[in-house]
Amino acid sequence: MKYGGTRDDTKEIVGSEPEGPGTAAQELPMFRIRNLRKRFGSLEVLKGIDLDVRRGEVLVVIGPSGSGKSTLLRCLNFLEEYDEGEVHFDGELIGYRLGARGRRERDSERNIAKMRAHMGMVFQHFHLWPHKTVIDNVVEGLVIVKKVERRAALEIGVRLLTRVGLAEKANVYPGTLSGGQMQRAAIARALAMKPKAMLFDEPTSSLDPELVGEVLEVMSSLAREDDTGHHGTTMIVVTHEMGFAREVADVVVMMDQGVVVESGPPDQVLRNPLHSRTRAFISKVLH
Amino acid sequence: MYQWHFEVISDYYPVFIDGAWVTAQLTAFSFSIGIVLGFLLALGRLSKKRLVSIPATVYVEAFRATPALVQLVWIYYALPIITGIRLSSFSAIGLGLGLHTAAYFGEIFRGGIQSIERGQVDAAKSVGMVYHQTMWRIILPQAVRRMIPPFMNETANLIKLTTLGSVLAVYELLHASNVLITETYRPLEIYTITAIIFGMIIYPLIALSRLIEKRWAKGR
Repeated sequence: MKYGGTRDDTKEIVGSEPEGPGTAAQELPMFRIRNLRKRFGSLEVLKGIDLDVRRGEVLVVIGPSGSGKSTLLRCLNFLEEYDEGEVHFDGELIGYRLGARGRRERDSERNIAKMRAHMGMVFQHFHLWPHKTVIDNVVEGLVIVKKVERRAALEIGVRLLTRVGLAEKANVYPGTLSGGQMQRAAIARALAMKPKAMLFDEPTSSLDPELVGEVLEVMSSLAREDDTGHHGTTMIVVTHEMGFAREVADVVVMMDQGVVVESGPPDQVLRNPLHSRTRAFISKVLH
Repeated sequence: MYQWHFEVISDYYPVFIDGAWVTAQLTAFSFSIGIVLGFLLALGRLSKKRLVSIPATVYVEAFRATPALVQLVWIYYALPIITGIRLSSFSAIGLGLGLHTAAYFGEIFRGGIQSIERGQVDAAKSVGMVYHQTMWRIILPQAVRRMIPPFMNETANLIKLTTLGSVLAVYELLHASNVLITETYRPLEIYTITAIIFGMIIYPLIALSRLIEKRWAKGR
């Protein structure tokens, strides 16, 4: 088993949080990933990933470029179609269904889209829609996918833009924003759908250094409390920001060459890594 | 020294108006076919299903690789032999130019759609949009801006291609002019005016294209 004994540590960390009455739904992890494999042509990018992400947990994925971190994230909401293994999100298999004779077949586009609407995704290069104003970027999914009435959607949109500190930029086009503002707008866009989990794909990697802080700030606040203000947001974050990993993550996962090298609480993985590859990577990032 | 006699124009001006009207009709006819079929061809060529993309590609390449004049003559003379359907010369030209222009429009649409970076689609998918929502809400509004200049270009081309109607005696502007020349023996004056009329139709399109481009450049 790739994750070895470290998974038990994970449970301890999460188990120490007050979770209320332990209903079945709360026991069920938000993501259950088993033997996940993905190849691009002859190149195997993910070579059997096993991971659980509990509700309200912040999981940070680190590792050298080309280790498969982004591909892993994109497989979770089926932007990349994985080849083997299973991704269960809130108890449901992602992207496939059992067809006739028990064979696995691709799920319908409609079902895949429905499932994606429950996961927020934030990209390295923001991917805001340049032909729409900031507020229209935020409410687009609400109005078009969730069919929320536009006036109600705008209220939600303004509230979320306020939360990420962009209320005064609601009516400008994304092209006029700084990178940090664009990324915060993109976070608001993802939050508008009230996702059960947020996926962050190197959200600060394309930002000027002085703009990284404002984005991490918003992400930390999400980790503390989600949009309802009740508990922390379930988040999977691919990042090179070791400070963020140390302070905000519940679990840090180190990936290299398509496998999970080790995982555990940040104190262990970042300060006393078991694996030499983790040690080598961390010292490279820090120095 | 050549003596210009432009008074033939004022004597015969209804001929030019009739011809220009037929040119406009031909253009509208083939433009409509071209824009609808062209859009379908673009989506077809972009499809992941080879059963769809290969026929669309073959169509586009076939129409781009052969002369428009040959296509029109073929539709008028060879199609009735094969199918038994005999088209009027006007319909044959309108249909033929529509099918021809569709290949070019299709490539313009495909290029515009493909020029939108993949992240735009990823973002649309990630909020739960399905294909047609992504296409209409996210890709096309951006792609259309990039399509406008080549699209206007091709439309101007189409208007000029309607002069091919003269080979099948469709009474469009050039054919009307030719007929008039046989009556008046003033080819230079008449062709001059014909050219000016085409310019008067086409130049506003070019100006409009430039205006739209400027508008949108400012809006961003």
